[in-house]
Amino acid sequence: MRNLKGNFVSALLLLFAIAICFLSALKFLSMQKKEAIFPSRGLTSRKMLSSYFPELKKTWGDTDVYLYEGQEKGGNLLILGGAHANEPAGFMSAVLLIENIQVSTGKIIIVPRANNSGFTHSQPQEGNPQRYSLESPWGRRHFRHGSRLTNPVHQWPDPSIYINPAGQKLSGADSRNLNRCYPGKKTGSLTEKIASGIMELIKKEKIDLALDLHEAAPEYPVINAIVFHENSADLAALALMELQIEGFEFRLEASPLNLRGLSHREWGDHAQIMAILLESANASHGRLKGKTSPALIVEGKDKNYTKAAKLGRLFVPYDEDGIPLKLRVARHLAAVKSILSNLEELYPEKRIEIKNMPSSSELKKVGIGPFLNPPN
Amino acid sequence: MQIVYHLIVFYLTCHLIWCLFREKKFWNQVSVALVLIMFLLRLFLIK
Repeated sequence: MRNLKGNFVSALLLLFAIAICFLSALKFLSMQKKEAIFPSRGLTSRKMLSSYFPELKKTWGDTDVYLYEGQEKGGNLLILGGAHANEPAGFMSAVLLIENIQVSTGKIIIVPRANNSGFTHSQPQEGNPQRYSLESPWGRRHFRHGSRLTNPVHQWPDPSIYINPAGQKLSGADSRNLNRCYPGKKTGSLTEKIASGIMELIKKEKIDLALDLHEAAPEYPVINAIVFHENSADLAALALMELQIEGFEFRLEASPLNLRGLSHREWGDHAQIMAILLESANASHGRLKGKTSPALIVEGKDKNYTKAAKLGRLFVPYDEDGIPLKLRVARHLAAVKSILSNLEELYPEKRIEIKNMPSSSELKKVGIGPFLNPPN
Repeated sequence: MQIVYHLIVFYLTCHLIWCLFREKKFWNQVSVALVLIMFLLRLFLIK
């Protein structure tokens, strides 16, 4: 009788575990669903990264590629957002470009979720929210807040020490960091294959200039920065001066020669293109933050960072107003605009002309929402 | 490699279920059930 009672309780607990598992599975699996992006009328075609690198087909590394081609020939630009899925300014800048721009000269290729697998899970041990939302005239739009790394369900196990395709020794977890895996390896891990796919895209589309959009913590030294490969030193310096005239403070950082595997280093070295990485300051990304909430991601206000700024511990100005997402996106888009205007100055044959790009002043004033398209 | 992962997690999940039915103390059974949730999520490659 006692045994039967014990088995009954065990069976009930087993059912309880299965029920909890089912409910949490629904939540976790919802993270795999991509939020819709509604491209502008200027979109010429939409492809998958696997069309450049077929090994990615039917893997979580395959991702959308949006192409905008002008009537006139000019330069070819690649804009990469979401290499790190927990850096929303890079992703949102790409989304805003996709939903607004028209290209009259040259070609722009935008990859909003460069590491698509990173969007399917959250950063472990951070207590990050699954989503943040933005109010638009067409209703609330929700966006995934993912992880810096490829989902371990898609790439496992991590080595103890990772030696990346460029020969750099890194920590094991960096084997899932797209921005440490360039120039990629065709027979390598999923992340290395994604890096290979992006290298193939650069080569097949004859890219002249590539921009990788990122964010970092306010206490990290390489912040509010333009990191440039030596191929694009003049372009980066001219863009910086123009941005400073417009009132944006940026640091100019040369891509270190001995730090291998990063986009700006390997794109420049292996594809001989102009390569630039942009960093904005995100409080939700840092170690000093309090609770990570959707509000912290969008509004960028955190009292710990205000205190740290007063103590002189940060590398960017930070006050009670925080650094909101709209300002971080405005900085990225201002940098893109400035880089393109100076590209034309330095290389007139590589001119790229964009219409309807959200201006940084409007973004700062009205926010991101009004620039999002209605669902179609 | 995925097969190896599945086999390890499947073995441990079976072991946990066995422990759940063998255990007499209620709170120990609850603990086993809670651990089981994580193993089931891993077994089905959800998390």
